[in-house]
Amino acid sequence: MTSLLRNIFPKFTCMLKSRTVPKKLLPNITPLNFFSNVPSPTPYEIVDQNEKNSERELIKSDIIRKITEKVQNEGEPLFAVVHVAGKQFKITRGDIIVIEGYWPPDAGDKISLDKVMIVGAKDFSIIGKPLIQNGLVRVDATVIEKTVSHTKTHFKKKRRKQYKRINFYRIPQTKLQINTIRFVGEINNPPDVSEVKTRSIK
Amino acid sequence: MSNTSLVFTPSFIKNPSQNGLGRYVCQLQRVVLKFCKNNGSSRGMREFIEEELVDYARSNPGVVVYLKPRRHRGPVISAEYLNGDKQWINCRNFTKVEIFKWLNLLKTQQGDTTGLRFRKLWHTEMPSIQGPWTPYTFRPSSLNLISFPNEDLSKAPEEESATDKLIELYKKQRISES
Repeated sequence: MTSLLRNIFPKFTCMLKSRTVPKKLLPNITPLNFFSNVPSPTPYEIVDQNEKNSERELIKSDIIRKITEKVQNEGEPLFAVVHVAGKQFKITRGDIIVIEGYWPPDAGDKISLDKVMIVGAKDFSIIGKPLIQNGLVRVDATVIEKTVSHTKTHFKKKRRKQYKRINFYRIPQTKLQINTIRFVGEINNPPDVSEVKTRSIK
Repeated sequence: MSNTSLVFTPSFIKNPSQNGLGRYVCQLQRVVLKFCKNNGSSRGMREFIEEELVDYARSNPGVVVYLKPRRHRGPVISAEYLNGDKQWINCRNFTKVEIFKWLNLLKTQQGDTTGLRFRKLWHTEMPSIQGPWTPYTFRPSSLNLISFPNEDLSKAPEEESATDKLIELYKKQRISES
């Protein structure tokens, strides 16, 4: 489109180019206070992507060291994306999630969710491909309730065909209280031979 | 399926007693099994009482089980929870297995949820840790080094002009002809 414009109205486009562009293109960003836990925007560092490999390695190791330091702090709020019973849930400490459908754990069971896909804090995230290193993060949860959903209606009707069916059903639901999300392993240093220490229920 | 039902009250997931944050406490406190000694609709209930009730009561020491025979009335399970909820299930013509299943369900519930529809299957105190997304998040931070106005960024993206395309087509045609 632009090239077409350039061909048809070369003069016009030249005029556009010669116009002075305002120096301040970016709008003023004020600290966003939609969420009470975000008092100020996350501080960042400038990382030039065209740096040499050795320098990038250095930066990488530095990042890992910083994350490791951050993680030592118990009060650091962490979030995780876990894969439970065919669905993915974004959770933090103290969350309650509901798993729908038949799922064996009973009320009062304490379980650990092992399929962790993403774990992150305020200024870093560790993203798995698709799961993060086994044994790096431990997500503990308690099954607090096993119940059934409200009665759902399945109604189908075909017009002018004397066809009408109605079914009612309720889905089993399991409520999970997330107790803790914490780092237990070492970042970027997986064990050579991984051993099954915990059992996860799909 | 629409959710504009007059029957169900929309609600959110709650855990006011913070059950499961420390230890888990069974919320079912009392169960009353009401049945008739003669009527056929109470047959499953009577079988359950004869064969499985003692095991149920023994395996759940936290739950008080009462039996209430009454003449010519349908069988009923009435459950009371720690939060004061009272749930009532009509067990007319239920089999022994069905009654066992319902009693187990009552045991694992937190309260009476009949007539409640959950609007969200997720409850959190902290909806976002990294903050809301803006157009500037996750952009390469080297962009911050650029001073505006910048000629490289403001020039039009290079693409083939219509004339170039025509010339290309003409050349192709000539090749295929020759």
